[in-house]
Amino acid sequence: METNTFLQMEKGIFIAAVVLYLAAMVLYLVYFALKIEKTAKIGNAATVLAFILHTAALVVRGIGAGRLPLTNQYEFATSFAWGICLCYLIFLWKFKFQALGAFVTPVIFLIIGYAAMQSKEVHELMPALQSNWLAVHVMTAIISYGSFGVAFAVSLMFLIKGKTAGQPFWDKNVPSEKKLDSISYRAVCLGFLFLTLVLITGAIWAEAAWGSYWSWDPKETWALITWIIYAIYLHLRISRGWKGKNAAIFAVIGFICVIFTYIGVNTLLPGVHSYA
Amino acid sequence: MKKKQSIKSILFSMRTAIILLLLLTAACVLGSILPQGELEAYYTGYYPEKLASLILLLDLDDVFHCWWFIVLTIALCLNLLGCNLLRFPVLFRQMKQDYTAEKRLEDWDGEAAAVLNGEPEEFFRTMHFSGTETGVTSEGKRFRYGVRNKIGIWGAWLTHLGMLIIIIGFALGQIFQQKYTVYGVVGETLPVEGTDFTVTINDFQTLLREDETVEQYVSNLTLTDTKSGETAAGDTSVNHPFSAMGMKLYQNSTGWAATVVVSRDGELLQSEILCAGEHLTIADQPDLVLAFNAFYPDYVLSDGQPSTASSNLDHPGYLYTLYYQGSVLGMNVLTDHNIITVEDLTIAFMDPQQYTLIQLKSDPYTWIALVGGVLILAALFLSFYTRTEELWAVEQEDGTWAAAGRSRKGGILFLERIEEAAVLVNEKNNPAGKEIE
Repeated sequence: METNTFLQMEKGIFIAAVVLYLAAMVLYLVYFALKIEKTAKIGNAATVLAFILHTAALVVRGIGAGRLPLTNQYEFATSFAWGICLCYLIFLWKFKFQALGAFVTPVIFLIIGYAAMQSKEVHELMPALQSNWLAVHVMTAIISYGSFGVAFAVSLMFLIKGKTAGQPFWDKNVPSEKKLDSISYRAVCLGFLFLTLVLITGAIWAEAAWGSYWSWDPKETWALITWIIYAIYLHLRISRGWKGKNAAIFAVIGFICVIFTYIGVNTLLPGVHSYA
Repeated sequence: MKKKQSIKSILFSMRTAIILLLLLTAACVLGSILPQGELEAYYTGYYPEKLASLILLLDLDDVFHCWWFIVLTIALCLNLLGCNLLRFPVLFRQMKQDYTAEKRLEDWDGEAAAVLNGEPEEFFRTMHFSGTETGVTSEGKRFRYGVRNKIGIWGAWLTHLGMLIIIIGFALGQIFQQKYTVYGVVGETLPVEGTDFTVTINDFQTLLREDETVEQYVSNLTLTDTKSGETAAGDTSVNHPFSAMGMKLYQNSTGWAATVVVSRDGELLQSEILCAGEHLTIADQPDLVLAFNAFYPDYVLSDGQPSTASSNLDHPGYLYTLYYQGSVLGMNVLTDHNIITVEDLTIAFMDPQQYTLIQLKSDPYTWIALVGGVLILAALFLSFYTRTEELWAVEQEDGTWAAAGRSRKGGILFLERIEEAAVLVNEKNNPAGKEIE
């Protein structure tokens, strides 16, 4: 099959995934608004199906392009949304509370919506991107940022939960603030570990490609800024007892940095990472 | 003594670390937003006068190499070092003395996370605690105690050590690394200034795909040590540097060069290969300077601007500027074998070819930063995923066992696991679902 045939297929599957993410988001919101538990279960199913289709779209694009689809703004954004969904499903499976979907799916939908607005053209890889490190570096970034996305959603839930005391629906369907705080912390830990891996693999790759493992390129710098922000978060939890509300606010700020590092830097700050 | 302690406690405290990290974050934000390394005129021309003065005063035009950024980094290193030195004996003592049944039961307020309806061995197995300790409390009650992943307490300490090693490796690299750049066309032998090396460019190819996009740039080079006479030859391409004689040679960039031929009354006066961006002083007229600004392999005018229609050498165009005593004498694009005439002088551009830009680097300390990176990764894994956990169960007067636990960083989730394991074990011990009184 030709590249165009694969890209046409990818387009169809991608649109189906976007529609399903939208449906999942609406179902989760209905679950929250009307308190119909069944809609959350359908929302879960829609999210799983959307994730499968999303994965298929990435695979088909990868086959069509003859490389990993991780090299331009569209591919970054769609992979970012995929990473958040993957981490969400892992956390859903591990902690079994579907209310989280109402907070994660809007984030996924916004990012995949942004991806949908980008050019989907497939370009051959420039020499600097032809490296085995590309897969490791970007995949670890996807998992890292996906985890931070989940931490962001859980932290939002935490902040809202504090204002819903005594509401039976929230008491029944949303874990305690203490548990939300712990889950958010777990998600940040996973994201932080992978972000460290992102920085290290990126440095090794940069050493081979550009002859310098650290050159203060805006993307590098913002990845470091994000790393420092979450490092501060981890320290504040220990030293100042910044659990709960303050930690949740910090996790939200951290994710804003993630968004800027992942999308903003490529478009606003010129540098060697500006492949879009 | 008291004063010394307070200075030490301030310098090595986590509060100081956080302040330093925040300041470094702010510096990084500024360094990524403001253009770095531009000429002074750029800032005075682009920004309002006061802001430009502030940028230049605070060295914000070169944030990552300025004195205050280095001071902040050194302060962070000292903080990390001091913090680790202070923490080491505490953690060592904690590891040796803190995780004991005696201490835990002494501190325990008696609140159970779960109640077991039988002997607790199965419960400990379910919780993946092996090598447990049994005994009798001071109140004469039987107890079972287990601890695992004690090594996890070193996670943060090792992370700090890894960070310190990275910064030291990077700093040593910045101070002692040797970095040189040479560029030229095929056949040239280029001296590497400040060293005894020369680089000969044996071949340079731009490999194109069918759609004319660049697949790879490959230079075949010979590195020669003119002092010892030692030579080494090899290919370098993007992502695949060539290593020889302690140097790494990187395929860094490429561009266009051309031969500039200067004649007087038809007689050859000067012939030199000039790369785009370079300038040439005319041999016997030091006041006359030719700048080769840009090259367009397939020259076209697009919206009034010089441009190239393709990367093919179909219609070469040479953008030049001619200066006389520092003033612009003329500026134009030469095409179709046209020449520049200045009185009895003629200047022609010919034989356009791509030059290759090679970066030579020697950094004997890169491995230190890599060791630091690997250590940080391992330490973070240790910190986050080998959480130190303690589990204990004490027999109650009614024959049941009160189970409780403590986890570094595990918190409420660990207690939930205890509850779940207890339910599982109780169901196993009491499959009929008989109520335990």
